[in-house]
Amino acid sequence: MATANPTVFLVMVNGQVESAQFPEFDDLYCKYCFVYGQDWAPTSGLEEGISQITSKSADVQHNLVWNFPIDITFKSTNPFGWPQIVISVYGPDVFGNDVVRGYGAVHVPFTPGRHKRTIPMFVPESTSKLQKLTSWFMGRRPEYTDPKLIAQGEGREVTLFQLSTHNYSISRLWAFSLAVFSAWNTLLHPTIKLAGSLKFQLKSYLLQSF
Amino acid sequence: MSHQEEKVKIISEEFVENEDEEAEKLKKMKVQKQRRKKQMQDSSPEEQLEGAANLGFQQEQQPDGSEPNLLNTTVRKGPRNLPPLPSTSRTGFAEFSMRERMREKLKAARSKAESALLQEIPSPKPRSFVSLKEEGTGFDEEPGKNVLKEPQEEDSQRSARVKFRDSGRKPKFKPQVPPGFPSAEEAYNFFTFNFDPEPEKDETKDKSGEESNQEVEEGEEEEEEEKPRQEEQGEEELTNEKEADAFLLDLDQTAPDFLAIRAAEYESIHAIQHKEKEILFRPSSVTVPIYKKIPENMQPRYLEDEGLYTGERPMVPRTNQNIMENRLLIQEQERKWFGDDGRILALPNPIKQFSTRPPIFSREEVIEAGLETLYKKALNYVPNKQYIVGSGDSLGQFQLDIDISGLIFTHHPCFSREHVLAVKLAQLYDQYLARRQRNQTKFLTDKLNALRNAVQTLPDSTKPPGSGHTTRESVNKYKFEIRQTRRLRDAEEEKDRTLLKTIIKVWKEMKSLRDFQKFTNTPVKLFLRKEEVDWKIDEKAFEAEIQTETNELFEEHEEEYEKKMEAYRAEYQDWKAWRKAQRIKKKKKKTTEEQDEVTEETEHGEEPVKPTPPVPIDRSTIEQQVRERALHNRRKPGEPILVPELSLAGNVTPTELCPRAEILRREDVRKRSIFLKVLFNNKEVSRTVSRQIGMDFRVHFGQIFNLQIHNWPESLILQVYETAGYGSTNLLAEVFLPIPETTVFTGKASIEEVEFSSNQHVALDHEGVGSGEPFSFEADGSNKMILMTSGRVSNSVAWAVGENGVPLIPPASQRSLGIRRKVDAIASIGASSLTDMKKLAKWAAESKLDPNDPNNASLMQLITVATSGDTYVPEFFRLEQLQQEFNFASDEELNRSKRFRLLYLRALEVPEFRNFKQVPIYDREIMEKVFQDYEKRIRDRGVIETKNHLDVHRARVAKYLQQVRESVINRFLIAKRHLLLSDLVVEEDVPNISILGASLFKLAEQKRPLKPRRKGRKKVPAQNLSDGDIKLLVNILRAYDIPVRKPSSSKLQQTSRSLRPFSETFVTSPSMQSPAHTVDTVLSQVLVRPFVEVSFQRTVCHTTTAEGPNPSWNEELELPFRAPNSDYSTASMQSVKDDIFINIFDEVLYDILEDDRERGSGIHTRIERHWLGSVRIPFSTLYFQGRIDGTFKIDIPPVLLGYSKEKNLISERDFDSVRSLSDGTYITLFMTIEPHLVPGESVREKMTDMLKKFDSQEDEKLLQATEKFQVECAQKFPKRQCLTTVTDLSGKTIFITRYLKPLNPPQELLDMHPNNPQATAELVARYVALIPFLPDSVSFTETCDLWSTSDQFLELLAGDEEEHAVLLCNYFLSLGKKAWLMMGTAIPEGPTAYVLTWERSQYLIWNPCSGRFYGQFDTFCPLKSVGCLISSDNIWFNIQQHDSPMRINFDVTKPKLWKSFFSRNLPYPGLSSVQPGELVYQCTDKAAASELQDRIEKILKEKIMEWRPRHITRWNRYCTSTLRHFLPLLEKNQGKDVEDDHRAELLRQLGDYRFSGFPIHMAFSEVKPLIEAVYSTGVHNIDISNVEFALAVYVHAYPKNVLSVWIYVASLVRNK
Repeated sequence: MATANPTVFLVMVNGQVESAQFPEFDDLYCKYCFVYGQDWAPTSGLEEGISQITSKSADVQHNLVWNFPIDITFKSTNPFGWPQIVISVYGPDVFGNDVVRGYGAVHVPFTPGRHKRTIPMFVPESTSKLQKLTSWFMGRRPEYTDPKLIAQGEGREVTLFQLSTHNYSISRLWAFSLAVFSAWNTLLHPTIKLAGSLKFQLKSYLLQSF
Repeated sequence: MSHQEEKVKIISEEFVENEDEEAEKLKKMKVQKQRRKKQMQDSSPEEQLEGAANLGFQQEQQPDGSEPNLLNTTVRKGPRNLPPLPSTSRTGFAEFSMRERMREKLKAARSKAESALLQEIPSPKPRSFVSLKEEGTGFDEEPGKNVLKEPQEEDSQRSARVKFRDSGRKPKFKPQVPPGFPSAEEAYNFFTFNFDPEPEKDETKDKSGEESNQEVEEGEEEEEEEKPRQEEQGEEELTNEKEADAFLLDLDQTAPDFLAIRAAEYESIHAIQHKEKEILFRPSSVTVPIYKKIPENMQPRYLEDEGLYTGERPMVPRTNQNIMENRLLIQEQERKWFGDDGRILALPNPIKQFSTRPPIFSREEVIEAGLETLYKKALNYVPNKQYIVGSGDSLGQFQLDIDISGLIFTHHPCFSREHVLAVKLAQLYDQYLARRQRNQTKFLTDKLNALRNAVQTLPDSTKPPGSGHTTRESVNKYKFEIRQTRRLRDAEEEKDRTLLKTIIKVWKEMKSLRDFQKFTNTPVKLFLRKEEVDWKIDEKAFEAEIQTETNELFEEHEEEYEKKMEAYRAEYQDWKAWRKAQRIKKKKKKTTEEQDEVTEETEHGEEPVKPTPPVPIDRSTIEQQVRERALHNRRKPGEPILVPELSLAGNVTPTELCPRAEILRREDVRKRSIFLKVLFNNKEVSRTVSRQIGMDFRVHFGQIFNLQIHNWPESLILQVYETAGYGSTNLLAEVFLPIPETTVFTGKASIEEVEFSSNQHVALDHEGVGSGEPFSFEADGSNKMILMTSGRVSNSVAWAVGENGVPLIPPASQRSLGIRRKVDAIASIGASSLTDMKKLAKWAAESKLDPNDPNNASLMQLITVATSGDTYVPEFFRLEQLQQEFNFASDEELNRSKRFRLLYLRALEVPEFRNFKQVPIYDREIMEKVFQDYEKRIRDRGVIETKNHLDVHRARVAKYLQQVRESVINRFLIAKRHLLLSDLVVEEDVPNISILGASLFKLAEQKRPLKPRRKGRKKVPAQNLSDGDIKLLVNILRAYDIPVRKPSSSKLQQTSRSLRPFSETFVTSPSMQSPAHTVDTVLSQVLVRPFVEVSFQRTVCHTTTAEGPNPSWNEELELPFRAPNSDYSTASMQSVKDDIFINIFDEVLYDILEDDRERGSGIHTRIERHWLGSVRIPFSTLYFQGRIDGTFKIDIPPVLLGYSKEKNLISERDFDSVRSLSDGTYITLFMTIEPHLVPGESVREKMTDMLKKFDSQEDEKLLQATEKFQVECAQKFPKRQCLTTVTDLSGKTIFITRYLKPLNPPQELLDMHPNNPQATAELVARYVALIPFLPDSVSFTETCDLWSTSDQFLELLAGDEEEHAVLLCNYFLSLGKKAWLMMGTAIPEGPTAYVLTWERSQYLIWNPCSGRFYGQFDTFCPLKSVGCLISSDNIWFNIQQHDSPMRINFDVTKPKLWKSFFSRNLPYPGLSSVQPGELVYQCTDKAAASELQDRIEKILKEKIMEWRPRHITRWNRYCTSTLRHFLPLLEKNQGKDVEDDHRAELLRQLGDYRFSGFPIHMAFSEVKPLIEAVYSTGVHNIDISNVEFALAVYVHAYPKNVLSVWIYVASLVRNK
């Protein structure tokens, strides 16, 4: 295999899941996790986290404020597979069952500096009206088998396939549901002398993205 | 210090020290202002004084600094109420404040906040702060805040302003605050004050009504003040503003402060007009006379007339041109804007003829019509009709009109000599006419004249050098051109003259011929018309011409002479110099020696010859030359102009008057007729009528052919056929017609003449000259000439126009419309030669393309580039020619990059790299050895490696399997990615009644039931798992009928004094709850202490020791699971080949106390464990099943020395005998994987579905029937297996019954028990079982079940249950049994295939993988449910209530119990079998088998020694050889009925050894399973010091390389 200490670059992410707007729901909590490529490895910090339950703020905007800190450092050798943060929001429904209220994913910002991201959230839709009804009754809404799926390309075409032939949509977008994720991202290069291999890197990056 | 200065200072001070002070200051200022206002009203001098006073006042305040509020207000006021500030004053102010600020900065250290303020204030345009602020301080921003910001701003500003005024006017409000500290309010203001400028809104408001508004506000606040004061205040504001204005404007304040009122000035309109006239100029639109526009003494010159290219001018109205011209003439006296022709210079019209932009549809109306997407059904493209043009309705719509008007022979065999001459004359005349029409001579003469004029009109070169240079140049150019043109003209003139001469000559010849032969054949007549000319004028012109020419020539020669003279002079100088030098030398030489001179001179052999001066040209000689040439080429002065005219008015001599030869000729001509065939795309489409050749050799057809075509015309050919008399027709020639341009339509097309010629030789016996034959006009036969048949076809080809005026042109041709300009070139030289640059250039030169014409620019450029040869024209065509530019590196470089290669291989999911993590950034960090394995594998792909495989055949099979696997995997690669909704989204099913009922029932359920049942667990996708996450849970419940120690062993014991089985002594101590145990002790004092050891991936766990042959452990064991390469993906999990071994051991305690006396005080025992049997379960079974729960038969070695079954009822082995429950040892256990993994089952099913859709050679109806059948079955019994179609090795779907066909078992097996069909059947089953088992999921990772045919199976020597079952079933069928393939579920295999046979009133169930058979009512039959039965001609699905073999009826004839696939509705169509007709068995090489045997033995011995690293391993040779002899016996008896003999023999031979060992029997596939099996017995674990081992291997070879391996492994301890 490679040498014991291959050259890596570090990406430090500090941030927080600040707030969300779910006009319909209250008392929500969120989970976050990171999805990253093969060449990436977390070196420190927590890869996953689950926040406290928050209630709507009393002001007009009804923000759900978590201010839930994220602090993680990745090391990597390849920009391909840049980490993505996946946020899923859960909360009780009318009967008190914990159901999922939204999924969303965004790439960790590519440039160092302070960034703020607003992620539109969505939930998978029931396949039929009847199932929607029963799922509402039983408090077992459709969920992704793994929240990380939404940050991956695989299976997207299934949803498309389902959309086109069976005339139902798998993902419904809550256009008004937003979770805000802001992050400080610091990119640390061990050496600045990346230019030489950068072109290969880019090429391979292109290649892999196909 | 003036008043303004003071103001400036106030402005320039920005920092807040103390708001209080500042308030104070403001108050004072106000007082000041008020005062000043009064003063202003009074007088100005007073103000001066006041200013001085102010100065002092100001100086007092200065150290305190001022505050930004003040500044803000003033600045703010400025723009609000005043017109925009003049920029000059503003910059001045800015500069000043800047400097001041800098000083301030240096002077004192300020707090950070203050400096922030400092930065914010000075910007001249405060409004831009808005954006700055948002960017700079956006940290604490919330999305919602922006909304609130604006009103807040406004508020704060207003309040601040108000406050400021308050504080200014009412100081009494704030005295309580101690000086130096801001009040709370101020502090608040300070922090919340928004330094943003007023928003726009504010301003507008201000403009409209804020002024008064504010006033009111203020008024309210100052209620206590009296009214006059209010007014005053209003005024004060005004003045205040004015003051601000003043200091900002930096003007003297006094003058504008006072207003003077007078009447408005008025100017009369005339006065204005008058004034305007002075300034304004209105150019007239009258046409400017041309002489004004060109220089004096010049004639306008029209380049166009001279034949030079001038582009088309852009359209400008005449009046506009006139206006412009007038303006230019007035404005600039130079006439540089006018060209030679007196018009304004203009570039050619840049507007293109047709628009290049596509038309834009207007949004409202056309969008539906134009942009609406229309869906049309896909049409089948017919590739073999490559010329097809349109599709569908437009077929046959195109029409090509071919008009064949006639045919003229320019030579025909029947031509008489006169004809030949006549044709020649006609040709010459045509040529003459063409020349006259072109009139090149005239054109060139005119051009010459124009050029001469141009030279004359050009200003003299004596003009100033700036312009003179260019004029001289152009003069030179002109002169050159004149020469060229003259030369051309001379040539043309000469040609004209010679042509005329030839015509006359031919005519004379013809006349003489007619005279000679005394008859005329042709009506050709030539007249020469003379045109008299005025001799004088002619003479003059001629002379003038000659003069000019002479002049020019003279000039030319003169120039040349000059040049030569120059050269001569230079040469002469050189020569002179040389001479001089020579002379000097000579002088020197003379003084020395004279002989040397000769040598000297020879040395200087190249002595320059004295140059001869060039002869000056004599004018008269030149004139002479010119005259001579003119006389030769030109019409002499006064000579009449001869104009030949050809007419056909002559008389042809009638036939009667002709000589005989001529009559024959004429008759021959009359006999001949001509017709034409029209060939379109090399197919004859029509032909003309046959017409006689006329006497004039003209044939008139006048036929029009309308070709309705739907193919793009490739070629159009006319074939000329000639028929002579009634004889044969012969093809004279083929005429190739050009395919018309798409713009050529019927009616517009001109008649064209296409020449043809034939190469046939015809010799005639009459007057006709023949063809290809030499003939002569001369009487002596000299001057022979040969003419070939030739002629011209006049025709026209055009596209037809349809009824509605639409041209019927194929659409494919319309593509070329865009390049219509270039079509000319293509048409003339052919599209193919466009690539030939030389040809193209030649054509361009010939066709006299105007190189200046921008339309030809691209072509010309192409030609110049191509012909100059400096550009490299590649010989290939590049699709993406710019790709090269975007390449990061060359391909070789990329390939060399290890990193790139690594990434590439990983992306390809090559197994070695699939899980490669952290590909290093740098190449140098990637070790070369990373690729070694991969490269080796690639290299070895074709090479069969025998190292790991002990025999060649198996190595080959492994290779083959590998290849099959690869190809199959490729097939499924796409399907693998095919995910279903259920893979992504977890969704509850719609509950039906049963679920609802169950959930209701759940409510009534006990909270803690006494007998808890296992609940289903949530499945975990194997994605985010890592090492140690997965555990194997094995719950060992109990075992039945474990062999017990034989009492005979106690006999042995008696020989030893101290070594007694431990259990014997402590037999009473264990619990007495097991009755068997007590019975045992009572009966034979022998007992067994079994425990179970589970080993998986070399991890071993064992239970506690229980007692007795029917022990109950009820223990849970936990074993960790490691996936290969830490890859927990479904694919890799499925390919785990590890087995779970469940071994049962007997724990034997030996008392090894040496001394009996110590028995009371200590226990010294040794534990020995004796292997009793094992169960082997592949991990893949567990993985796919999720859990394994049941009672399994333990594989007990056929010979277990020292142990016996409790009840020996296996005496009679017959199918009839109802076998007892205790036949064999059984263990009940439960196994599962924690967490519950999701096997890739769904993927497999999906792929089966996909396969069915894609590849099948089965009948479509049959496939539909199978689908229907399966759906019906699945509806009734979703859990029962129903199989109709399977996939074969090539991935095709095949109906299952095709697999069943009687196949012959090896003859060797049949011969063994010729009289015992049962024994034969068993033997056959054993043979099948000996073929190694290899589950499909392992061999074909993640793919579906593939069924190989029996011959393939035997060839591969590996397969899963189905293949075994099919082979076994086929053997049974061939043995004449009634046999079915039985699909069902069994433990531990899960869904599997068994074989059912009918034997004498009894059904038998055969396990094809173990070779065992069970009766239908055997409790321990591993088959637990039956799904369907398959015979060679039908499928029956079990529709009985139960599916356990014990409870069902196997009578397939009953339709109520078995649903058959083929029935009366769908009769069996007689499907042919996929199996081979006969199986051919090769005898296995015995030598190879024995060699293999030795090798296995060697390997195993090494392994055992390896496993005992801390002990010496001694091999007992004697015992080994005994065992070796014994093993073939075992094989022969198939491991039955030998125990007793064996035991006796062993006892005899190894009398004083305590022997513990057993034979293991396995089918041979690889060595590794053998090693594992030996390891799992744990024989090597004995660590007694004097232990010896014995190991014997026997390989028995069955046909077709089926090998049965026996391993006898034993440990021996010498009894003391």
